[in-house]
Amino acid sequence: MINDEVRPLPVPNDEDREFWEAARGHRFVLPRCESCGHVWFPPYAACPRCLSRERTWVAASGRGTIAGVARFHRQYLPSFPPVHTVILVQLSEGPYVYANIVDSDPAEAAVGLAVSVVFEDVTPEISLPQFRLAQPS
Amino acid sequence: MTNRSTSRTTAIVGIGSTPYGQMYRAAGGDGTALESALSATAAAIEDAGLRKADIDGVIVGGLPRYEPFMLRAGLTDVRFVAHYPWAGRLCPLALAQAAAAVQSEMADYVVLFNAVEFRSANKRFGESEDVVRSGRRPAAPMETSYGLAYGMSTPGANYALAYSRYQSSHGLADGALGAVAVSSGQWASMNPDAILRDKVTMADYQSSPYVAEPLRRLDYCLVNDGCAAYVVTTAERARDLPHRPVLVASLAGRATIREYYAAEDFWGQACQSLKHDLLDRIGLSLGDVDAVSVYDNFSTSIVWMLEGFGFAAPGEALGRIAEGWIAPGGELPVNTSGGMLSEAYLMGWNNHVENVRQLRGDAGERQVPGCRTILYAGLSAVPAGDVLVRGD
Repeated sequence: MINDEVRPLPVPNDEDREFWEAARGHRFVLPRCESCGHVWFPPYAACPRCLSRERTWVAASGRGTIAGVARFHRQYLPSFPPVHTVILVQLSEGPYVYANIVDSDPAEAAVGLAVSVVFEDVTPEISLPQFRLAQPS
Repeated sequence: MTNRSTSRTTAIVGIGSTPYGQMYRAAGGDGTALESALSATAAAIEDAGLRKADIDGVIVGGLPRYEPFMLRAGLTDVRFVAHYPWAGRLCPLALAQAAAAVQSEMADYVVLFNAVEFRSANKRFGESEDVVRSGRRPAAPMETSYGLAYGMSTPGANYALAYSRYQSSHGLADGALGAVAVSSGQWASMNPDAILRDKVTMADYQSSPYVAEPLRRLDYCLVNDGCAAYVVTTAERARDLPHRPVLVASLAGRATIREYYAAEDFWGQACQSLKHDLLDRIGLSLGDVDAVSVYDNFSTSIVWMLEGFGFAAPGEALGRIAEGWIAPGGELPVNTSGGMLSEAYLMGWNNHVENVRQLRGDAGERQVPGCRTILYAGLSAVPAGDVLVRGD
């Protein structure tokens, strides 16, 4: 079980405050460049493609594909006892995000599987985007 | 376009290193990085047939500060000083800077080194000490703190994420990667200075514990103390020195910086860029390479380097490695000292010391016959490489 008492959490700053405010409302948003249309993550203040600082927040699909699965058999951070599974998800919009598998068995996580976003309320301020295995359609 | 004849104007003329295996096995015998730096640089200067007074350029790698070394080494009035606090992945770039220094006549003889004390300082990569100390408010950049919230830390786990994708896309069996550790162990068994000198079998590999699955402990490089050093000068000055010079034929870098460290294509594009700059540009082909040297922070780096440069087709390197392709007696010797997996983790610098030995013909039992050209490359946030050739 993850120990939330000592879990390192993001500290919202000027770059990503709006992202975490949306996440608190269980909305998964991504910055999109007003100038060139690029969508990126993490939400750096300026567009990494054209350096424009005009960004808007667009609702992401919340869908992605597992691009990597790592299972920690050794404990590095006090809050994550082994075996702890981390996945890398490629969002359907393109960017990659780290996450955990929730609402599904982490043992079933495998490269290539479709996932969809869910939110884990960790503190009153921080709700983390997480993923569960998508239901076969 | 670099002219082949003018690209070989810089030489490595001296090498020195700490006795990795002896230090590692001696109870409490590991030294500080500063002590290691002093002994390895003195050895490199002596090996070059030079005196300390000849050294007028210094590139300090690994140490957090350069003054303590300069004072103790008596190198207090040199013409050229540079500093790479984190020298590992940048080692071809440090070599490039040394070459630039001697070619621009900023210095005549540059000593450069990387010194570490990972083991005696109980360094654990990725433990994120800032996070542990500060509780839940990580003093980490935004992009790093995003990973930490999910329990993502350590370079090894990023390589594990990438290897899981590689394994899946090529349908590789669990354990296929073990062929790299087996080959590395075979080379290291012939290296008296190596830390891990016992040959590794596939059964040993399968019983090696997972660290970040699918990677096992034998897929990770060592954690040790020590130093690797070399002396660089012009090819012209090298003629007057005792050893057959080893010439720098080409140098190249190609940054591939990702939040998740491992490039999506397993560094394929970066390797093609390096291949162009290191080989094509000076009229060399893969077939001209007598031995390959890889920054083997993880065993996967060897696989992806060989495939990225085109020595093997995507997905095929491990099958060939299992047949002895890169092992002693194989068609393409790779990391002939045992590299960072088995010899020592000096972050590519020990690999370069070995490459100089090979090109001099001084590698003893593990000498690659007729070794004239060695290609080195590292895959990381800043992939970089070089080609060293035997001088006449």
